[in-house]
Amino acid sequence: MDLNYTAEDVAFRKQVRSWLEQNMPRQIRDLDERKAWHRRLYEAGYLGMGWPKEYGGQGARPMEQAIVADEMARAGAPAPTNSLGVGIVGPTIVVHGTDAQKRRYLRKILTAEEMWCQLYSEPNAGSDLAALRTAAEDRGDHFLVNGQKIWTSGGAVADWGLLLARTDPAVPKHKGISCFLMNMRQPGVDVRPLKQITGSSEFCEVFMTNARVEKENMIGRLGEGWGIAQTTLGYERGGRALARITTYASQYRTLMDAARRLKRNGRPILDDAVTRQKLGRIWADLEVERYGALRTLTMLERGEHPGAGGSLTKLSYSEFEKRFLELAEEILGPYGQLTDGVPPEFRLEVDTAVGDHGTWAYAFLWSRAGTIYAGSSEIQKNVIGERILGLPKESRADRVGGIR
Amino acid sequence: MNFSFSEDQVLLRNSVRAALDEQCAPAHVRAMADDTRGYSEALWSEMAKLGWLGLPFAEEQGGAGLGLVELALVLEEMGRAAYPGPYFASVVLGGLGIQLGGSAAQQERWLPAIASGQARASAALLEDALDWDPASTTATATATKAGDGWRLSGLKRFVPWAHVADVVLVPARAPEGVSLFLVDPRAAGVTLTPMIGIDLSNRWSEMRLDGVAVPADALMGRAGDAGGLLDALLRRAAVGASAEMLGAARRCLDMSVGYVKVREQFGQLIGSFQAIRHRCAEMLMEVENCHSAVYYAAWALTAGAGDAAAAASICKSYVSEAARKVCGDAIQVHGGIGFTWEYDLHLYFKRAKALEPLYGDAAHHREQIVRGQVLHSDK
Repeated sequence: MDLNYTAEDVAFRKQVRSWLEQNMPRQIRDLDERKAWHRRLYEAGYLGMGWPKEYGGQGARPMEQAIVADEMARAGAPAPTNSLGVGIVGPTIVVHGTDAQKRRYLRKILTAEEMWCQLYSEPNAGSDLAALRTAAEDRGDHFLVNGQKIWTSGGAVADWGLLLARTDPAVPKHKGISCFLMNMRQPGVDVRPLKQITGSSEFCEVFMTNARVEKENMIGRLGEGWGIAQTTLGYERGGRALARITTYASQYRTLMDAARRLKRNGRPILDDAVTRQKLGRIWADLEVERYGALRTLTMLERGEHPGAGGSLTKLSYSEFEKRFLELAEEILGPYGQLTDGVPPEFRLEVDTAVGDHGTWAYAFLWSRAGTIYAGSSEIQKNVIGERILGLPKESRADRVGGIR
Repeated sequence: MNFSFSEDQVLLRNSVRAALDEQCAPAHVRAMADDTRGYSEALWSEMAKLGWLGLPFAEEQGGAGLGLVELALVLEEMGRAAYPGPYFASVVLGGLGIQLGGSAAQQERWLPAIASGQARASAALLEDALDWDPASTTATATATKAGDGWRLSGLKRFVPWAHVADVVLVPARAPEGVSLFLVDPRAAGVTLTPMIGIDLSNRWSEMRLDGVAVPADALMGRAGDAGGLLDALLRRAAVGASAEMLGAARRCLDMSVGYVKVREQFGQLIGSFQAIRHRCAEMLMEVENCHSAVYYAAWALTAGAGDAAAAASICKSYVSEAARKVCGDAIQVHGGIGFTWEYDLHLYFKRAKALEPLYGDAAHHREQIVRGQVLHSDK
């Protein structure tokens, strides 16, 4: 056990830091500027780092990826774009795609020339994703797609989507699903932004009416879609592990500064014993998340996969994030709820994929998403219970029979 | 960066667990609760032979020269077994205290004896006011010069295993300030009164000192200079106690998972109910977080990392609360049987509970965390 970073990692961190100091844009105003920043990161070798070299990546170690993301968080650098393309779609194509698919799509994912979204969740298939009903009907040379998707991140700007659709309604639900690459720029695809409780629209609804998918754009074989979606893929694993914590820590320091200015009974809130107890507790929780990230990175560096252990990590940090921002709101009072007219001393520097919201209010509202997306806390607990603790499965009516 | 145990560390943990599984089964813990001295000399000698009693001491002092990570591994197993005996008192409180602040002669006198099991040590860190701040530890105990030596008076409480100790580290206020003395608890003027708590595996004493004469060489370090030493010792004790709480919590989790896989109600195994499964998942999450907190802090203290003091406070504040929750949830998922004396769960529940307020409770350490941050940002 040695929790010091190696000399190589320290040197690499320095190199990334100085590159960021010289190259980081002050502000990102629109998607084109964000794409340009994305390409600079890619050209510098700081994006798609975990992808194999033959497909345009760096074959970098998880620690190097974590360090780049961490330094970006430290510097408050704008996020790149096409994160689902780089993080999920590309790796899926690398593992399951044909040579032709790899040649056609991979490079343009890395350069953000083609933007991607993931067409998985449906109005009636959220936690129970395998209940999805969007149908892909075999029409000889192509599939005809009808149905509705929801919670599609980046759907509004996507050129392509990784689609899960039902190709056989007669077999048990997990077995009748196939996986496709679907062109989003066609008449049968209607994308509508979904306005969230934040007031912004990171997500969309996607309606498919007789949309067309060419036969050559199926990934894997017919009926294998569920397995493909379940494979824990991705070369960017652990990439956000440290960066996430660094962002929380920077927000915590901003909160401490606010607690110096705000007063209770004529004294700074920071001198109030009750507030200090709450700050001390949340900082301990935050550091425990950081230690956990170091454990995850240790596993990844050794080539081990956390597997269901990832559910423990996700459960822990997403629930932490809610507690943290609830405390921030408590300390900041009504300042914490301002979306406009925020005095400078109570602002928060937050960069999101769609723009700079810069408010505690946004961060607070957004924290509600983390315990729902990518498997809600309840689903994570089921996974932990079944796959790590080996607890008996509950009897479920849907494990037998077809979807209809 | 490597946050995993080495092969040697895994071997150490496995051998400690195997030995305690065999020699410190629940029946042993219960038997020792009724024993006058409260622990087994036979197991103590065995632990000396296995090298556990000198684990963190230098080899020339009869120790194994290992660090706090290894010590935490042993302590986690002690918590997991609810080991009844003066291991923590002797090796952590007494041993590490003498290692940190003792003169060469004091170390030579005590560390080999502690390592070989011939001597048992402890420390009297609390008085009636339960204040963990080292600067005020001696609110009432005093040390006055008497000839070449000193006379100590005062009242100490919750002194672990003092009734079997050969030496107790006693902080007392000298004219120069808080000072630390090595005191023989059998010396004239010392009165020990048992303090019996809910934890059957632990023994405390009230230690009254009425003008106890100690020689000049009983003073550790310089008079008035004990604050830093007590701070350092308290951090190690906090992390060590957290390791024991982690072990107790893991035992409670293991017992719960085992139980819900065989217990049936409504015609089904109760582990298949989400209400139970989700609670068990949360318990595992807390146990793993405790593991992170304990071993990070143990490493940081050994390595002298810049955040070692903060890590110790983070560890104790986190684990104090998480272990209580996990052990309490274990009783809950067991239902009625978990509330019976006959079932073993309460041995571990009480072990964790006993350590929760000691060496700084969660509130004390949370204040330490914020105080450190404010000091740091004011620099």
